[in-house]
Formats: sequence, structure tokens, C-alpha cells
Amino acid sequence: MSAFLAIIRKELLEFLRSYGLLIVVLYSFTLDVYIAGNGINLDARNVSVGVIDYSPGFISNKILSDLHYPQFQEPVFFASQEKLNLAIRNKKIMVGIVFESDFEKRYHNGNNPVLNLLMDSTASAQSYLALNYIQHILMRFQDTLSLAPIEIQIHKLFNPNTSYSYFMALAELLSIITILAVILTAAVFVKEKENGTWDIMLLMPTDAKAIILAKSLSQVIIVMIGTFICVGTVLFGIFDLPINGSLAVFMLLTFFYAFTSAGIGLFIASVARNIMQVAQLSVLIMMPLLFLSGAWTPVYAMHPILEYLSIISPLRYYIQGSESVFFRGTALIDLWEYFAGVIVLGGVLFWYGFRKIGKLF
Amino acid sequence: MRIGVIRAYCKKELLDIYRSKLILMVYIMPSMILILFGYGIKLEVTHIRTLIIDNDQSKASYDLVSAFEHSKYFNSEVKNLSENRALNLIKQDKKDLIIIIPEEFGKHLLKGLKASVGVYIDGSFPSRAKTTENYVDGVIYDAIMKRSGSETESRALITINARNLFNQSLRDEDMIVPGLIGLVLLVVPAISSALLIVKEKENGTIFNFYSSPVKKSEFLAAKLLSVLLLHVINIFILFLWAIYLFELPFRGSFLLYTFSSFIYIIISLSIGLLVSIVTSSQIVAYVLTLIITIIPGFLYSGMLMPISSMEGESVIEAHIYPVMYYTHILYDVFLVGDGLSASKNLLYLLILVGYATILLTVGSLLLKKRIA
Repeated sequence: MSAFLAIIRKELLEFLRSYGLLIVVLYSFTLDVYIAGNGINLDARNVSVGVIDYSPGFISNKILSDLHYPQFQEPVFFASQEKLNLAIRNKKIMVGIVFESDFEKRYHNGNNPVLNLLMDSTASAQSYLALNYIQHILMRFQDTLSLAPIEIQIHKLFNPNTSYSYFMALAELLSIITILAVILTAAVFVKEKENGTWDIMLLMPTDAKAIILAKSLSQVIIVMIGTFICVGTVLFGIFDLPINGSLAVFMLLTFFYAFTSAGIGLFIASVARNIMQVAQLSVLIMMPLLFLSGAWTPVYAMHPILEYLSIISPLRYYIQGSESVFFRGTALIDLWEYFAGVIVLGGVLFWYGFRKIGKLF
Repeated sequence: MRIGVIRAYCKKELLDIYRSKLILMVYIMPSMILILFGYGIKLEVTHIRTLIIDNDQSKASYDLVSAFEHSKYFNSEVKNLSENRALNLIKQDKKDLIIIIPEEFGKHLLKGLKASVGVYIDGSFPSRAKTTENYVDGVIYDAIMKRSGSETESRALITINARNLFNQSLRDEDMIVPGLIGLVLLVVPAISSALLIVKEKENGTIFNFYSSPVKKSEFLAAKLLSVLLLHVINIFILFLWAIYLFELPFRGSFLLYTFSSFIYIIISLSIGLLVSIVTSSQIVAYVLTLIITIIPGFLYSGMLMPISSMEGESVIEAHIYPVMYYTHILYDVFLVGDGLSASKNLLYLLILVGYATILLTVGSLLLKKRIA
């Protein structure tokens, strides 16, 4: 047991003293998560608008005055259709609005007034949302509500302001945990291979199983500390992410999951000969797992084949479980599925990696 | 520069790449990233798991329910549950959307009083929540208007005649794949060229170069040419994936696509060269390259956010990185098809050429043929 603790201490010390690695790990857990949370926003914001107005301009100006910050930029007026088209093709303008000359007359006479929109839909998500905003503006403008007396009370649960940083930051943290747990565990073994200290390790008067376990546990501890720092500083500190479940449950799930990833790390360590191969193999193995397990898109929205395949991916349970803890505030009993998935699949993976690297001892 | 030396050196590099299995990364990683993200990012929302609780059971509420059942966006199920039980289903991630039609809904509508509908959306995935909200709004207003709006009233409403240029059916693939090509061709060549030089540093074989009569220009030319040759094939592989797997239209000129991609790969290789000058171990070079290429590659490709919508310092940053210029041309050749007749494409192509020249010159000036 004391040998076990000594190995853990040695690995933690070694980690703290390899500054390059330390910096990369710290960067990943703080700045990287921050950039992802801050940078990616799929909402239609600050959309550029170009206008051609052939109508007298009373109604059209009223409508245009409703297009404002934060969704839209100040409309730019164009003299002719060609100039507007050119601006759209050059990606200067995303939404072009054309008011025909008879627009106002038709509006007053109740004779099918038509508003022409030209949208650059290369960014399809934004252009779809921009179209929706304009529809809403028109609805409010014409007081459609008086025609259809209905009130839709929409409650967006867990994230009422649809903040993208909540989602992106958490998704990025989960990716970082996955990748780092794999790379760090694999690196801890492969470093010994690379530096030639592997034989010294074999000579140690300690059981091989204890060495493997201690080494993996030390890396799991590093990942857990990193996660804790990230949740505390970036998620709670900067993004003010609400947590509807309990943090302890998330950390527990992360703990089991880190062992799962460590299992994959052990497998990689048994195959790879140097750190470079570790890095490449980890990315090759983990990236597909990560993306097809619902990090960016819920699993049920993906291709049915992928959906079935993801049943055997422990990441699927981890990602869904973590999102449920943070956003949905699921009760502990309802989380059993995710815990079971991570523990069972993780157990198998860790056992396999353990045996694979054990053969090298 | 002696052609014979370069050729021999190139041959050595190609063999090295082949035997050290780096070749796997050169050919697997680009296709892998393209396919993963192409399939893994779905912004289009369909099959929303919907639960409708109809407490009214009137003609009006049936109409509303059937409007949801006939929409391809919703997988709806009608059940009578208490509100709390229903909300628990969202918490357990079994449903995404709950619609509650209150009692007296039909009566209120008939009398012209204000009727209300309760809608609960799972907000965990923000982009999906937003789109769901819009769908729900649309379906409900539509259903109600059909019931109550008379002919003249609906004729008086402004209808929107929207033309989606370049991506008529708003396909996710059309939006993501060109941006991904821009990302992949920035990241992977940079990594391979960085590794190729740093590996020699790490293994100490760089001294062969320091002490041999090979000139710096020959060394560089050989290193970069060998990776360039391998990656040029990727231009075509990625093109084939885009056209046949993701079924993108291709409206521009293939020559422009090939040429601009070629220049862009040179830029990426030069970035790798710069990284290899400042680092001395492979793993650091690898991580550093990933950090400086992936994030700008994602953010400034216009794939997730149009450049015209950016504000403040991100506008400046977007113009500093070469990504934006290349993806602009990419979106043009795939979706728009103006080619070089649009002056902006020509300008951006020239900017790319300028980038390549500057980065390559700086890189070759900084590379020293001695121990620093």
C-alpha cells in the first residue's frame, strides 16, 4: 500500500515538474474552455441588412425601424437590384429586403402585400433565424394577435436566455476531460518507454498491478483537479453557468468516466512507442467517439446507424449524464442509466487496457 | 538550388513519411474530420420529441394537435399527464417539448377571448431550443389563423416572399462542409510540416543537415515539397467527399478551387515551418500547431458565424487570419459560382498569394543552418 501511494506521489510530482505539460493542461482547462464558450454563437446576431425601397416609404420605414440591435445592423440602402445582389454575393449583406412600388398601396387596400427577401443562406442556421425574426417583426407590426387571439407562453427550461456559452463551455470541458484523461494516462507509461526507464520500473519490488493502478489513478487525480478548477473558475466564475443538479454527482460521474478514458489510455500506451504516437492515436480514436456520442448534437437526432452504435460508447452516457446534471437537474435516481452505462462500459474498457499493458510487464 | 539534391532529399522524406506511418495521419485525418463534423453537427432540427397534453378535448384543440402531428418536425405523442409528471419527462431527457392545451381553450377561441397555450422547451441545446420555439410559434399561429382568420383579413396580411440564395433548401451540409475543408487544409498540412522538421531536431538527425553541403533552400524545398505533394491529393479527396458523400452542388470553376487550395496548403505548411522553428520537441510542436490553427479555423471560417455579423476585435482578428479569405473562395466555388469575375474573389486570391509569399519568406529567413 505504501508503495502504491509512493508511486502516486512520484507521478504527481513528475507532472508538476514537467512545466510544458503543466501549461498545456492548465491552458486546456481554462483558456480553451473560455474561448469555446465565448466564441461560438449560432444565434442570428448583428445581421447585415440591405434595402431597396421603391415604395413611397411610410410603411417601409416603419417596418425597418423595427430591425435593430442586437439582431440586426442598421439597414443599408441600395439604389438598384444589381448593387444589392453584388453586395450579397460579396458577403457584405446577409439579408436583402425589397419593397416593390405598389407595396404600400396593396397594404392599405388589403390586397396581398408582398415583402421580398433575398437571403444569403450559406450560413443556413443564421439565415433561418433571421427570417424568423423578420416574421415576428411583421406579426407584431400588423398586430396579428388581434386576428388570432392566442397567447403562447413559452418557457425555455434550464437556459431561459438561450445562452450559447453555457452549452459550448460545458461541451468543451467534456471534450477536454476525455482527451486529456486518455493522453495523460498513455503518456505516463510511454514516457518510461521513451526515456528508457521502463526497465527500472520492471525492477521495482512492487506488484505490476499496483504500478499500473497507481499510475492510472495519479492521472485520474490530475484530471479531476483540472475539472474542479475549470468548473470553479470558468464555468461558474466567468460564464455563471447554473447547475440544477448536484456538483458532487457530476464529480462522481467524472471520476468513473476518467477511469474509462484511462482504460483507453492504457490500451494506447501498450501499442504506442513514443509520445508522438500517443497524441496521434488519441486524436484518431477519441475524436470520432466524442462527436458521435452527442457532444454537439443529441444522439437521437443523428443517423439511426450512428444512434445504435453510440449505445456502446461510454461517452454517450457521460455526455448525456453531465448535461442532465448541469441543465436538467435530473434527480439522482433517474441518473442510474448514465452511471450504469459509464461504469459497465468503462469497467470493460479499463479491464481490457489493464490486461493489454499488463502483458508488457 | 540543385535539382538532383532536392529530388534525392524528397525521396528520402517521402520514404520517411511512409515508413513512420505519418502517411496515415496525412490521409486519414482530413477525411475523418470532414466526415465526423459533417455528420456530427446537425443544426437542422427534426423529430422533436413532443408530448401534447390536451386538457380541452374540443374541436379547436384537436385541430391544433393534428397540426403538430402532421408536421415533419415533431414526433408528437398525446397523453394525459399532470404538468409535473410531464416536466419530469423533460428532466429525464425523454421529451424535448411539452405543449399544454388548457381547459376552455376552444371556448375562449370561439368567444374571441384570449386563449393561451403553455409550451415547455428543453433549453439544454440552445440552438435546438431556439429553432423549436420558432417552429412551435409557426405551427400554432398557422393553425389558429386557419380557423379564425377570414378571407379578407388574411389577404390584408403582408406575406414574405423569401428567396434563399446559394443554399435553397437550407441544408446543413452546404453550410458546414466548405468551412470544414478550410479548417482541415489549415490544420493537417501545418502539423505534418511542423513534425517533419521537429522530428529531426528531436532525434538529433538535424545535424546531418547542419554538417552536410545541402543548402538551406534545398533542405526547405525538399521538406515542404514532399508534404505539399502528399497534401495536394487531399484537395481532390476532400472534393470527392463533398460532392458524392455530402452531395454539395459545385457551381464554380474547378481550376479556381484547386489553385486556391494549393496556395492555402502552402500557407498552412509555412505556419508549420514557423512552429518548427520555435519548438524543439514533437509533442510541443503538435500541440502548439493544434492550438494556433484549430480555433481560428473554426471561428473565422464563416461556417458557424458569418463574418459580416462579427463585431469589435473579432472583425480585425478574422481579417488577420488567412482562413476567411480561403473559405470565401470555397463558398463561392461550391455554392455561388461567381468565380474570378467577382472582384472580391480575385482580391482574396491575391491576398492568399501574398500570405504564402510572406510566411514562406519569413520562415526561410528564420531557419538557421546552425545551432541557435
